[in-house]
Amino acid sequence: MEETRDINRELMLDANATAGLLREIFGVEMTAEPTECATCGNEAEIGSLLAFVQGPGITLRCSACENVVLRITQTPEAIYLDARGAVYLRLARPAG
Amino acid sequence: MKGTLDWQIATVKAIRPETAQVKSFTLTLPEWTPHRAGQHYDIRLTAEDGYQAQRSYSIASEPERAGEIDLTVERIPDGEASTYLHDVLIPGDRIEVRGPIGGYFVWEATARKRLFLPSREDPVLLIGGGSGVVPLMSMLRHRAAAGAKNPACLLYSSRNFEDVIYYDELEKLRAKGDGLQVVHTLTRSQPQGWKGYARRIDRDMLSEVTRPLGGSPQVFICGPTLLVEAAADTLVKIGVKPAQIRTERFGPSGTTAGG
Repeated sequence: MEETRDINRELMLDANATAGLLREIFGVEMTAEPTECATCGNEAEIGSLLAFVQGPGITLRCSACENVVLRITQTPEAIYLDARGAVYLRLARPAG
Repeated sequence: MKGTLDWQIATVKAIRPETAQVKSFTLTLPEWTPHRAGQHYDIRLTAEDGYQAQRSYSIASEPERAGEIDLTVERIPDGEASTYLHDVLIPGDRIEVRGPIGGYFVWEATARKRLFLPSREDPVLLIGGGSGVVPLMSMLRHRAAAGAKNPACLLYSSRNFEDVIYYDELEKLRAKGDGLQVVHTLTRSQPQGWKGYARRIDRDMLSEVTRPLGGSPQVFICGPTLLVEAAADTLVKIGVKPAQIRTERFGPSGTTAGG
């Protein structure tokens, strides 16, 4: 158990690394946008979340309490987004 | 900024060795848009059987250079993407890319007011480990091109002197006297007469480099996960606010998503 956690931890990235996928889903740049962790209330930019990308899906966790904020799973037909861990997401309107 | 993020076909204009394991690739882009220093491009390689590999690589060049970008890539021995780029790709080849991507690990010399982002006057501390220096180099090239004079320091950790990327160019940037300090540390071996640091980044080193920056600079850290976490944790201990620290982890030792 402890070992698994350590390996996951070692392979952990910042959510900035998932910027391409997030932009594919939302159509706008997301990593500089704020979000709020539904578990602990920490408000931070999406790019600062902890990204676990080695599994079948991508898990983004709160950098303060490490609870799940977003989960994204891709299949050939669709993208599944579980956002229960986020109080809100902010999508900037395109300028001009 | 366009809402879409489309794949496009870039052409390899030039390939330049930086160190034994690191090369810079100049790509010309039909749909070039100015990036923000610190952003990356995704590269997609497709094999004949349809198998695809996708990787993110940091932009090394400054956004002031129109129509093309430099990506500096470390060759990861078992990496399926970086070995292709290093061993197979030649000038004139075409390659599928999309970008620029990412708005978080970004420093801009223009005073565009944005939520959370530092302004051009703020002191900035850039900490790089190995090829983690690449997005920081884009920031420094951009800083020089834009004529910014904010207090800035690059703390750059390499194993050996031969592994230091951009050494000569960093010396030139430092010599401009526009407020930039460049501090090297060599963790494994040092050449004769080496005057820089010769150990891993630690508390004393971070105290010494943050002091001339007023003690509480904006911080960007990029490199292997262990280096990034050690540097970030130690900076918080010496009084830098966590909200002022931005990190970009590479994973265990290679590039983003494993080379």
